[in-house]
Amino acid sequence: MEILSLFNVALLVATLRMTAPILLVALGGSFTTKAGIFNIGLEGQMLVGAFFAVLGSIWSGSALVGVACGVAAALVFALAFAVLVVSFRANEVVVGLALNILAGGMTISLMKAIFGTRGSIVGKGIVGLPKVQIPGARDILGSWAPLINGFTPMVYVAFIAVPLLVLFYKRTRLGLYIRVVGEKPEAAEALGISITRVRYIASLLCGLLAGLAGAHLSLGYITMFTENMSSGRGFMAVAILIFSNGNPLKVLAGCLLFGFADAFSLRLQTFGFPSYLILAVPYLVALTALFALSYRSRPKIIRETLESMRKLLSVDNKPAEFGK
Amino acid sequence: MNDKLRAFSGQLVAVLIALAMGAVIIMLIDESPIKVFMTLMRGAFGDQAKIAGTLLQTTPILICGIAACIGLRGGMFNVGIEGQLFLGGFAAAWVGFAMPLPPGLHVVVAMAVAVIAGAAWVSIPAFFRTRYGTNEVVSTILSNYVAVLLTSYLTIFLFKRPGGWSETPPILASAYLPELFAFSRLNWGLIIGLVLALFVAWFFRSTAKGYSISMVGSAPKFAEYGGIDVKRQGFLVLLASGAVGGLAGGIETLGVHHRFMEGFAPGFGFDGLIAALLANGSPIGTIVTALFFGALRNGSLLLETDTNASREIITVIQALIILSVSAQVLMKRRGDSTAGERRWKF
Repeated sequence: MEILSLFNVALLVATLRMTAPILLVALGGSFTTKAGIFNIGLEGQMLVGAFFAVLGSIWSGSALVGVACGVAAALVFALAFAVLVVSFRANEVVVGLALNILAGGMTISLMKAIFGTRGSIVGKGIVGLPKVQIPGARDILGSWAPLINGFTPMVYVAFIAVPLLVLFYKRTRLGLYIRVVGEKPEAAEALGISITRVRYIASLLCGLLAGLAGAHLSLGYITMFTENMSSGRGFMAVAILIFSNGNPLKVLAGCLLFGFADAFSLRLQTFGFPSYLILAVPYLVALTALFALSYRSRPKIIRETLESMRKLLSVDNKPAEFGK
Repeated sequence: MNDKLRAFSGQLVAVLIALAMGAVIIMLIDESPIKVFMTLMRGAFGDQAKIAGTLLQTTPILICGIAACIGLRGGMFNVGIEGQLFLGGFAAAWVGFAMPLPPGLHVVVAMAVAVIAGAAWVSIPAFFRTRYGTNEVVSTILSNYVAVLLTSYLTIFLFKRPGGWSETPPILASAYLPELFAFSRLNWGLIIGLVLALFVAWFFRSTAKGYSISMVGSAPKFAEYGGIDVKRQGFLVLLASGAVGGLAGGIETLGVHHRFMEGFAPGFGFDGLIAALLANGSPIGTIVTALFFGALRNGSLLLETDTNASREIITVIQALIILSVSAQVLMKRRGDSTAGERRWKF
């Protein structure tokens, strides 16, 4: 009985842990999705985030500086994406794919140039993120404590970001602007919102979270960098974004599904199922979910946004402008 | 013609800009760009064998590029060519080692099965794309990962060569794609690729079907009002694109490796897509760009031994080329803000 419950808790804990990186990157992508940009470049941003986090951690000996370096690198990629897609109006799929390829080639080239190795960076003084110990958690929750205790900080950041993003989209002006720009760019233009500016901000916010996700990959539970270590998580995040429309709660639901698939398939591996097939499970889950939920459309959301736009503007005492 | 010349010079400028950026990156990693360039040239065209090696690398890039061209012209982004290549490669190898057939017929059957495997692999994303509008970019990318893992599983768990390491048994000699020269593994695949490029170019230029596909790609609404069954055609376009991707894999296993092995053709699918993008969706142009990328790839083998740069530096250069191609439009026609949007719409 005791063993059974421990098994369940362990599985739940693993699920939460596996959910965190994909949740972070998907929440990042929710900014661009809401702003009407199809951002296939998440994968690359995450990868450079992971690489430079390791680099920063080795150079400075501090995990925090490492995270900052990872975020900075992801921001550079996000900025390049925004410049090409928003200012130059280049095709977002082409630019995103090219940046992903660039990220893959660049990290491997730099790895060879700096460390003289291929494949992976292990050891070399990488400082990983500490595990957060919540005081008293063990006393109150007993064997359930690992559910909230002992994760790396990014896990908490990821899950706390969900309600924050809900509020951000509902309650803040910037969040509203992002939604309007994504759903009705003409309306945004008519209201004097700078589409370019909002899309830049959305892209950079996306880069920020993608960088955190990358840092979590390489400094979280395993402190190492391997070639293409993001292994398609960015693309899974895009799949989640497509069927969730960037809605934070739906994103969370989708990511938990993936976290569970990941954790569960690791379990299966220990039971001797062929690892190659097990490794394919998350991708198959992503594909199945994408196909199964793909017929949904989104006219509803536009109405909601216009509703809240009206409210915000009437608070500003500018009812006349909105044709009231 | 003037238009074409301008397009060509535009691509050339973009390539030069990308090469300049690549040079800066090479300097950043403490290596001389000139040395890297000379090494690349020597590795790609140094002697007879090197040139043959370049053409050998060009072949799969060219065929994958044609696969991408077909999709792009029809308004479909087939990013899953890599996966179709793996499936096609495995399927051809399977026919090659498991199904004894008379010489001649054996090759043809193996390639046909590769083609079918490629088309079958893309058929599910294609179905959902055309029926429900499921984004084909994401679904085909994700199916790449599945394809690679699935073929690895089949190779290692079900069809492993006894005593071998993650490879299938060798295919029978009757399934070999004949080689062109004695000194290289260069084979008929290159000829097939060239003929296919010419055929696809002719198809798009001179047939009614080709015209209607291009129309769907460039102006889907217009095409629909014109009475074209856009959905059905999009499905067939993706299927054709996947079929050619499968063919690329079949040619790799039947012509070069004579077996399927794990990771037998890394990145050819993506190189092909980039080559097609650089050629603006033109199959003839893809011959040139595929040759360019094939030379880079073959030259890069020497980079590892002769310089501090890794061979992935060419991946960086390729990505930079595509980025600068996508950015160049605005530099040329600053006044036209939709120029960039219309680019890549073929």
